[in-house]
Amino acid sequence: MRVTDKMAYNQVIGNLQKNRADQSDLQNQAATQKRINKPSDDPVASARVLGQRTEQRGSEQYMKNINIARSFLEFTYQSLAELSETLVRAKELAIQQSNDAGASEETRRVVSQEVGQIYSQAIQIGNRKLGERYIFSGYQTTQSPFNINGTYNGDAGDMKLQINKDAFLSMNISGDKVFLGEGIGADGIIRETSITPKTADEVRQLQENEHLIQEQKENGDEQEFTLRAPASKATRQRVVQSQVSQEQSGTNVLKILKDFEIALKVDDKEEIQFAIDNLDSALSQVVNARAQVGSRISTLNHTTESLQKAIVENKGVASQLEDADVFNTMSEINKNDSTLQASMETSSRLIGKNLMDFLK
Amino acid sequence: MAKINAMMDIGKRSMMNSQTALQTTAHNIANKTTEGYSRQRVDLVTAPPVNEGRYQIGMGSRAAGITRTNNPYLEKQIQRETGQMGFFEGRSESLARVEQVFNEQSNKGLNQYVTDFFNAFRELSNTPESVTTRTMVKETAEAMVNDFKRVKTQLTDVQKDADMQVRFHVEEINKMTREIGSLNEQIAQVEIQGTPANDQRDRRDLLLKQLNQKVDIKYAEGDQGMVTVSTAGNALLVSGIDHSDLSIATNPDNGHTDIFYQTTSHTTPFKVSERIKGGSLGAILEVRDKTVEEYKANIDTIAETLADEVNSAHMGGFDRYGNQGAEFFTFSESTEGGATNLNVNSLITQDVGRIAAGARPNAPGDNTVANVISMIQYKQVLDDKSSTLDDFYNSQVGKIGVAAQRANKSRDSQASVLQQLDTVRESVSGVSLDEEATKMIEFQKAFDASARVIRTADEMFDTVLNLKRL
Repeated sequence: MRVTDKMAYNQVIGNLQKNRADQSDLQNQAATQKRINKPSDDPVASARVLGQRTEQRGSEQYMKNINIARSFLEFTYQSLAELSETLVRAKELAIQQSNDAGASEETRRVVSQEVGQIYSQAIQIGNRKLGERYIFSGYQTTQSPFNINGTYNGDAGDMKLQINKDAFLSMNISGDKVFLGEGIGADGIIRETSITPKTADEVRQLQENEHLIQEQKENGDEQEFTLRAPASKATRQRVVQSQVSQEQSGTNVLKILKDFEIALKVDDKEEIQFAIDNLDSALSQVVNARAQVGSRISTLNHTTESLQKAIVENKGVASQLEDADVFNTMSEINKNDSTLQASMETSSRLIGKNLMDFLK
Repeated sequence: MAKINAMMDIGKRSMMNSQTALQTTAHNIANKTTEGYSRQRVDLVTAPPVNEGRYQIGMGSRAAGITRTNNPYLEKQIQRETGQMGFFEGRSESLARVEQVFNEQSNKGLNQYVTDFFNAFRELSNTPESVTTRTMVKETAEAMVNDFKRVKTQLTDVQKDADMQVRFHVEEINKMTREIGSLNEQIAQVEIQGTPANDQRDRRDLLLKQLNQKVDIKYAEGDQGMVTVSTAGNALLVSGIDHSDLSIATNPDNGHTDIFYQTTSHTTPFKVSERIKGGSLGAILEVRDKTVEEYKANIDTIAETLADEVNSAHMGGFDRYGNQGAEFFTFSESTEGGATNLNVNSLITQDVGRIAAGARPNAPGDNTVANVISMIQYKQVLDDKSSTLDDFYNSQVGKIGVAAQRANKSRDSQASVLQQLDTVRESVSGVSLDEEATKMIEFQKAFDASARVIRTADEMFDTVLNLKRL
């Protein structure tokens, strides 16, 4: 083959440029420690990396949510523990004062004052605040739920927090359930509202539903009503009343304490004996609620564990997708360096001399 | 009978031939680095001999012509491949810019802003009473809206930049066609006498190659060695010694620069932009009018869908003051699509209390709607309800990545094809200094020897003239 000067120059320039391009690529990899610096470096991986990052940020956000929910629930748990302690004390007093063996009208009057204290302590517990929020007032977190008469000013709202993709958990128990015994099932278990609306349509359905319940409560006669399904579904479902408002089997803790106090004041032995039973069921209601809260906390702990695992795994996957293999990169850089040096050295020979240099 | 005169004449002509050859060598050396130059050589042939009865006496040599060493088929192939190269290079460069718009490997991009927006609603559902989290929702929403706009603006910038390049390329093309026309004229003038127009042809070949790199052309050589060049189907750029200019005008609909062709000064110009498919111009037009438009439309779809979904949920809720939720996002009026017009409702930017977090009026702790809005992130709302906003956006990033990667690969492989062809061309037509040096010695020696022939003839004359002195 006839080798001409321009061929040699082109070859030298082409090779040097290729070496330089490789070098700059590798340098970039080494400096950023990333294999992918733009989508075209690995399109599939770079799209997946974005997915991973979203997942990662989601998981981190769920961890935040869980921490908020946990502190809320733990505070609730603690408050309920105190409440049950006060009820235990009230029960002790009731047993003490239920017969004439160790008690008299006098002692009952004295004890009635202690029970009064217990009552206001219960109210105080009901008005507990975490940060700026009342924990027992449902959605009415800015309003103290109980006044001194034991009237409830909150609502039955369950504040649901997203603790994982698709998983929601209530972080509160509203005071009407735990203190007034409203909306508690026949088995004495406090239930979260089963529906967590996830779309705008579901929210509208929920609002309609609640509106109907409200109307029904006001009218008090309708036993059955139809619910309109979201516009996308053409069905209408019939909702029986029991599904909407649960059978009442709860105990009004505050009322029981108040009744007990009055019974002591008026020295009504029979009523005091009643109070023992009532306090028992009040106690079990509060303990039940506490157990509920406890089980929610343990759900949170499990979710935390799995989230933490997911975060670590996610990081691993993302790293595999986008991080440069440092050892590989470094050895490639060394290889490329020596290639570049070799091309430069040989270049000078290829284009350095020609016949003219040797003709005198 | 041999004559001393003839000998002197042969010597003289030989000296002239050597001089021609040496001058050609000098021309070769001088054009060693000239692009598109083909080395030339003098074709020496023997001069017609003289018949002398039973034998012929040779009359030395003469220069039959100076020809260039060139393989026209190879040149044609190179021109074609250069056109491809122009296209691949143009596409790869333009797509690299588009790709950069979607590159969030090292900086914050739309994917992250959207995620932040939804996470802000998750944060809001933690503490719907708090002004801080509400403000955060507002801030992330505004940041997201701005990034939607950023993406759109940058894509539009890519198009504007393409417009500039179109202008520049059209100008260059017109310059080239003008020169090809004038070269056609020169070549016809020279070659009508039977002399090959080496340098002009080299130059014209080079121009055709460069023209083909810019735009896909068809050309053929006709009478008197003149080429006819056409592009975009039937737009004649060069015909004989005449050339027609391409012109540009801004399209009032989309603001892009379109290319027009005018057959004669009397006819109305017609648009050829859509018909240009090759060369760097073809690539720029394709990216500008198809690729970028598509991405812009998709980003608009994402923005509009997101806004609609969020609005629908938000308007079903109640804000802090117990009002029914207002629109969260509003669209301003403009000719540009959704993503550019997207705004956070000014009611919300002025008062974050207007953000509706709950499904019930006057329930400060109600976070139902905040939860619903954050769930939109996982809702399949695009592509016939088969992909989420994230999926759809990520697939856009994947798509531009694949396109850019493919463009780079075809550019690289085309570059190596072209490099090989260039090597072959240089091997055939390139100037070798070694060779020229050898030739220089060769012809210098021939020149010396010829001079000596003349001297010998001169001495022979002397001998003859001094005969009578004896």
